[in-house]
Amino acid sequence: MKYQRLSILALSAAAFIGVWWISTYVYFNPKIVVPPNLVAETLWEITRNGELFEHVWASARRVVVGYVIGAVFGIGLGTIIGLYRIAEELLEPPLQFVRNITPVAIVPLAINLFGLDEGSKYAVIVYSTIIPIIFNTAGGVGGTPQIRIRAAMCLGAGQADIFFRIVVPSAWPFIVTGLRIALGFAFMGVVAAEMIAADEGVGFMIMQSRNMFLPAQMFAGIFLLGMIGVGTDRLIRFALDRLMSRYMMTLNSDVGVT
Amino acid sequence: MNLAKIGRISLSMLLVIGVWWASSGTIFSEMIVPKPWDVMKQFVDMIESKELFVHITASFRRISVGYVLGCTIGLVLGMVMGATRVTRDILTPPIEFFRNIPPVAMVPVVISFFGIGELGKYFLISYATTIVMILNTAAGVSATPRIRVRAAQCLGADQWSIFLRVVLPSAWPYILIGLRIALGFAFTGIVASEMLAAQEGIGFLIMQSTNILEPLDMFVGFVLLGGFGLLTDQTLRAVIGKLARRHMVAIGR
Amino acid sequence: MRNLKFDNVTMQFPRAEGGTVEVLRDITMEVEGGSFFTLLGPSGCGKSTLLNIAAGFEKPTQGSASLDAETIDRPGTDRTVIFQDVGNALFPWLNVWENVEFGLKMAKASAALRKERCDKYLELVGLSEDRGKFPFELSGGMKQRVQIARALANDPEILLMDEPFAALDAITKRYLQTEFRKIWKDTGKTILYITHDIFEALLLSTHLAVMSTGPNATIREIFNIDLQEPRLTSNRDFAAMHSTIEGIIDEEVQKSRAS
Repeated sequence: MKYQRLSILALSAAAFIGVWWISTYVYFNPKIVVPPNLVAETLWEITRNGELFEHVWASARRVVVGYVIGAVFGIGLGTIIGLYRIAEELLEPPLQFVRNITPVAIVPLAINLFGLDEGSKYAVIVYSTIIPIIFNTAGGVGGTPQIRIRAAMCLGAGQADIFFRIVVPSAWPFIVTGLRIALGFAFMGVVAAEMIAADEGVGFMIMQSRNMFLPAQMFAGIFLLGMIGVGTDRLIRFALDRLMSRYMMTLNSDVGVT
Repeated sequence: MNLAKIGRISLSMLLVIGVWWASSGTIFSEMIVPKPWDVMKQFVDMIESKELFVHITASFRRISVGYVLGCTIGLVLGMVMGATRVTRDILTPPIEFFRNIPPVAMVPVVISFFGIGELGKYFLISYATTIVMILNTAAGVSATPRIRVRAAQCLGADQWSIFLRVVLPSAWPYILIGLRIALGFAFTGIVASEMLAAQEGIGFLIMQSTNILEPLDMFVGFVLLGGFGLLTDQTLRAVIGKLARRHMVAIGR
Repeated sequence: MRNLKFDNVTMQFPRAEGGTVEVLRDITMEVEGGSFFTLLGPSGCGKSTLLNIAAGFEKPTQGSASLDAETIDRPGTDRTVIFQDVGNALFPWLNVWENVEFGLKMAKASAALRKERCDKYLELVGLSEDRGKFPFELSGGMKQRVQIARALANDPEILLMDEPFAALDAITKRYLQTEFRKIWKDTGKTILYITHDIFEALLLSTHLAVMSTGPNATIREIFNIDLQEPRLTSNRDFAAMHSTIEGIIDEEVQKSRAS
């Protein structure tokens, strides 16, 4: 049965590429919508001359740094908001306002604040990741069933025990969801920042390709982005499944797909 | 929304504005982070000069068209995708692929293809919206409890009736959540495309501010984005609340 | 064995629209150590609130609950609650063994003691074979048994039980009622048990307090249940008692309908 599904998936991917190919010549202008074989060629070319690695590494580096910082502070702040009513009442309104300001819009501000160097990229990525993580963490921490805390109290758990052994495991699935969403936003942030002001990175490569009228390279960049995204998402899902399956059992329904 | 709650929210916002005011001119140069009062004045000026109106209507128009278009297409495709395992498997590779490409990345392609006209913006926003709607709708449709379908079959419902009266209502909460998430992405899409290829609009306002060294414009833009985003999100939530009540589903935070 | 006492307990809650609602009014009663004391009453009469006060989760607006001379003002390991919502009361990321072990770990008991107690009580509730399973793999009845084993492993003086078997199917319920009664007899603990099921109350208890309907609920009457063992529905005394109590409950339900 599994093979049947795998073959359908493979066929679909092939069909997609096929449709792409055909439509390039039949419908679109091949100078604007590049056929897959050219994209593949370009990808190979830039892999060979090291350009691919250079750009991917630049973007990856930025994402990792920004994501980790954003995750640490996001989980910290989210926990505080989830635990303490005062924090929630103080911080939620401005956060609710700010969450509507998409990371893309922040790029110019980041550049003003931190210049054209790495600092502004990190800032944008931290901003992109910290907001969803704060909200999901706060939701998970604050949503710990009261009955569970009471059960632990009856069994002699002190404040610290309750936090580490009850609140944290209960909130974990929510935190994980936040981390996954944040990764998507991190990619968005880095691409936006690189498109507007950078001299390396996947976003930069895409933008530069357009400016230099290299459509094949532009498509190659976009394709690359897609593959990286799929790859990292799969990786995270796999890692979490293996490492954290115990704690994910508390998840009831994962409603809300981004 | 009682008085006490409004009071607490106001207090919180006042505190934030206080921190903002204090940081401007001290930690941050006023050329980068202007004082709140100045931003307010600029805001009022722009209303008077009708400039604000131009930007807001432009962005609003683009979002509306793109969002409605995208949601419609997304809904239909999502239902198809979620309907059977086969359709899901067939549609998953392309959807999975595109979902991982942020709308921002598509802007250069869109510009190449559509130029810097309005069509490109409509397309981009629709694109972002559609992907989200497909995913959420498909999730909702495929999550229809099989037991409900069987119950309907026992009661003599044909395929079409089952779809309309069992699958759709069951998927409704997911669809509604999708609408909310999609709105957020629509906003992202509009800002991205306006920042990179437009002559008016909120995104343009923000981007332009760096070019003409007018930080006030940027912050007016932020206020607009935050404000409209909040407004539309809360409105959508209220509408969803009304519509979903019948289905007795608690939609999370 | 200490006695659980309620002295003039009154409980008021603030209402969302302002003002208060009085859930319990001036409740005074005593639960003798070692007895199986049931609180019976129609829905919404505040039985759970009284339990929460005994558990130390809530403080009464007036009056107090105490164990002999010691006032109850916080949760403690001498009074363990068995919740009805067992799905949320058990810890889903821990398996059966780890759940049962939890209280002992909190008390920093030695590994040897933990093993001894967990073995003993898992055996008692009949779940020795399932010690490695996780709550989501268990049926409602099994989950409830885990909760009971977890509570007992901590050796509390009193078990506070909030309609623990109400959400189970009839067969499982019967089975657990019988088994639990045996456990009570074997361990000799004090039980404060909440239910709205007269039948269940007569099956299990030594004492029965019938509550009036809420708000301002009070204790209407306290019965000593000394029906002969084993408790059988076919027994004449059983049926008579059932009728009496049923009459009182019906009265209370009528009153609440009228108001």
